[in-house]
Amino acid sequence: MEGAGASALAPAVRLTGVTKRYGPVVACAGVDLELLPGEVHGILGENGAGKSTLMKILIGLVQPDEGTVELGGREVVIHDPQTAAELGIGMVHQHLSLVEALTVWENVLLGDASKFDRSAARRQVMETADHYGLEIDPDRRVGELSAGLRQRVELIKCLRRDPKILILDEPTSVLTPAESEQLFTTLRDVVAAEQRAVALVSHKLAEILHATDCITIMRQGRVVERSRTVEATAPALAKAMVGRDVSLRTSAAAFGAIDLIDQGTAADQALRAERDEAAAAVAASDRAARPVVLTIDRARLVRDGVTVLDDLSIEVRAGEIVGIAGVEGNGQRELGDLLSSLVTLDGGSVSVNGTTARTGRAGCMADLGIGVIPEDRHDSGCVLDMSVAENLMLDRIDSTARMGLIDRKRMRARAVELMREFDIQAAGPDAPFGSLSGGNQQRVVLARELGHRPTVLVAAQPTRGLDVGAIEYMSNRLRAAADSGIAVLLISTELEEILALSNRIVVLSRGRAIGELDRREATSERLGLLLGGVGIDEPTGASA
Amino acid sequence: MSSNGTGSPKMMRGAKLVALYVLAIAIALALSALLIAVTGGPWRKVFTALIDGSVRKPGRWGDTLAESAPLLIVALGAIISTRAGLVNIGQEGQLAVGAATATYVATQSSGPFVLVLALLGGVVGGAVWAGIAALLKYWRKVPEVISTLLLVFIASQGTGYLLTRTFLLLDDDPNKPNRVQTSAQLDADTRIGFIRIFGNAFPWSVVLAVVLAVVVSVLLSRSTWGFRLTVLGRNPRTAQRIGVPVVLAGASALMLSGAFAGLAGATMLAAGTANYRYTPGFANNVGWEGLLVALVARNRPLACIPVALVFGALRTGSGFLAATGVERSIVDVVRSLLVLALLVPPAIVAIQRRRVSPPPAPVSTDEPVVAVAR
Repeated sequence: MEGAGASALAPAVRLTGVTKRYGPVVACAGVDLELLPGEVHGILGENGAGKSTLMKILIGLVQPDEGTVELGGREVVIHDPQTAAELGIGMVHQHLSLVEALTVWENVLLGDASKFDRSAARRQVMETADHYGLEIDPDRRVGELSAGLRQRVELIKCLRRDPKILILDEPTSVLTPAESEQLFTTLRDVVAAEQRAVALVSHKLAEILHATDCITIMRQGRVVERSRTVEATAPALAKAMVGRDVSLRTSAAAFGAIDLIDQGTAADQALRAERDEAAAAVAASDRAARPVVLTIDRARLVRDGVTVLDDLSIEVRAGEIVGIAGVEGNGQRELGDLLSSLVTLDGGSVSVNGTTARTGRAGCMADLGIGVIPEDRHDSGCVLDMSVAENLMLDRIDSTARMGLIDRKRMRARAVELMREFDIQAAGPDAPFGSLSGGNQQRVVLARELGHRPTVLVAAQPTRGLDVGAIEYMSNRLRAAADSGIAVLLISTELEEILALSNRIVVLSRGRAIGELDRREATSERLGLLLGGVGIDEPTGASA
Repeated sequence: MSSNGTGSPKMMRGAKLVALYVLAIAIALALSALLIAVTGGPWRKVFTALIDGSVRKPGRWGDTLAESAPLLIVALGAIISTRAGLVNIGQEGQLAVGAATATYVATQSSGPFVLVLALLGGVVGGAVWAGIAALLKYWRKVPEVISTLLLVFIASQGTGYLLTRTFLLLDDDPNKPNRVQTSAQLDADTRIGFIRIFGNAFPWSVVLAVVLAVVVSVLLSRSTWGFRLTVLGRNPRTAQRIGVPVVLAGASALMLSGAFAGLAGATMLAAGTANYRYTPGFANNVGWEGLLVALVARNRPLACIPVALVFGALRTGSGFLAATGVERSIVDVVRSLLVLALLVPPAIVAIQRRRVSPPPAPVSTDEPVVAVAR
């Protein structure tokens, strides 16, 4: 029975030969996996590598076609999440599943079948929170909480049931570096003190290296490598994950949290050196002589009495990438909305090559040749339940139509062209957009916006939630776009990404541009200071 | 949207749906029989009457077709607004206003094109009535579910008032002793003609309804207008970004939806429902049932054709039920049970599909399920 070979401990979970197919797509192919109590097990892989499917099998959301699941040496069949919960398996999902209108404690109790009384429930929530150092006010409404706190609620919800096995699916995709750090500290406690088994699913190398004990790397549904974390290096992991050598420079954003978490490793230093060298090269070419294409002039936007864009002025020249740096929630979203024709300015203007937009009118920015890769593609970048082809042709449907009737053949043909050019992996042009992996969805958006030959390309958090390979691809595309003469505005909260790509950097704070740096003068330290609210050239007479 | 033609699972689903329909209808019939038997009625006779009234007796096919046509037209309108992400449940009122407008036009004007003008009047009346809801929505953010619903009651009271004044709709024929609350009768040349086949007669508005179904189907699935409307319904922010004017497109979809209901009312009037007169209660649930037709057909225009036929048959069939001596309210319950039986299977299939397939992300529900007060 106890076939524990290398480890003295019996595994808490053992998956043997697990296979899951969706039609012709094999999401998991004969995967073996063991989670040991008292260990954080990192599961690393690109989007679509089968990580999430594997975890869904463990939690009972998906039934495997082949293979077995053993818990503590006993084979089990997990029909649904309820069964999984009874067996002591808990999961914190990538997309949080909280009800915004309810309070923290109500959310924690959601799904309990039994009757509950309010005070006991609140007490229990607070006890769990205290026990793990997850400070939270049980009476706050979830809608008012930041992403980090929301995730904390999910974690409490999960830990309250005292799970033996805890699964975290891309837990840091919505967190700031500091919040991520705190999460990992909590995880350590849970694992070390209480001998739980934790599976940490991620595509971020830095956090896998930082927070796990052992690593399983998946690619295209298969396990391609297993190693102890102490023996692993970032380049080796990246290579195993993507299946080829990856330029660490272009994928810098994937390592984003490294210098905040771990300053020491040699890999990190190599990465930094490479990055700085590249940055110098980028900044070396002088682009100041090019004409200004996009002009945002004293843009002012008030929402619910709060000034979210405050006399914001930005200029972008043809062929340059201007990075908008800033801590999340300082006007980035509104700037993106503005350039997506979604809001009407209360003052100021936006113009492209001298033509001023009528802000707020449907499609006004697109008409001026502004392409947008939105921050949340599901929000304003696509229609999930339309096909890939339809999403690719979303704004150019007229070009495929004769007398108002769409020529499906022509639409498909054009879509297939774009799919080939941008290497979009999908079952075909008619596959529903929602069935694509995150990286491929992003490519569809990119293909559509670039396929247009836009004058201006706005990329808002373009690599958020993407894996190394996809980030590299996106970065190259943005650079190529700039090289071809498109004015690129990059809005990102990831400093590494800004530093790696921009020629010029504008720092955004409370809806104002509080500083502007040439890439040559920008360092992480200097930007960090600016982000903290220390302006270099505080605009003195701005109110006039 | 476009299906990725995997044959066998789709066929399985189809077979399952058919099986569910058979089961649901069987249960509804059994419950109906039980109910009638318990209340002391002849349940065998009831079912015979249902079939006699809808298809078996001579001439009944034609009546069933005539009943189905307005249901189909209303359903097509409902599909258009649903496609744009708007929930119009006020067809009953839009139909009444459309019919009243058509009556006014038909009785007040003369000339060779009165019938056409009357039908257009119906279109305009329904559109205006839905337009009020559109105005409230985009000007004052009143949810259209609520405004369209409440406008039904205003419509029925309002058109009732029109029937109290001779300069409006009330019949001013002094020779008619009992002319309370009915309009003048449409002249013979302003009525919709009948097509006669095999001893069945039905108005040509049936043909019009089927043509409209085909047109709506093609426009929604193939035209750039339908494409933009779909984008608007599924993701309004994306629509705004790519240049679909949200207010204009939404308001026009809602008004078009009302126009269909109004047209249905006008065709009912001109095809002889209520003896070519506008009367109180003229709409007679056709608006509500048209909404149900769209629901059962899961918002596919062509699927509405057979569904509207079934609903039409239930209407004509239950007309014969009254002759069996079973109480009117029981007849209504029987009909409602059968309607429910038609609504449940697609709902079950939809729920199962949502559970089985791995949801990629929270997707907006494209079929708002609406509880309809009858």
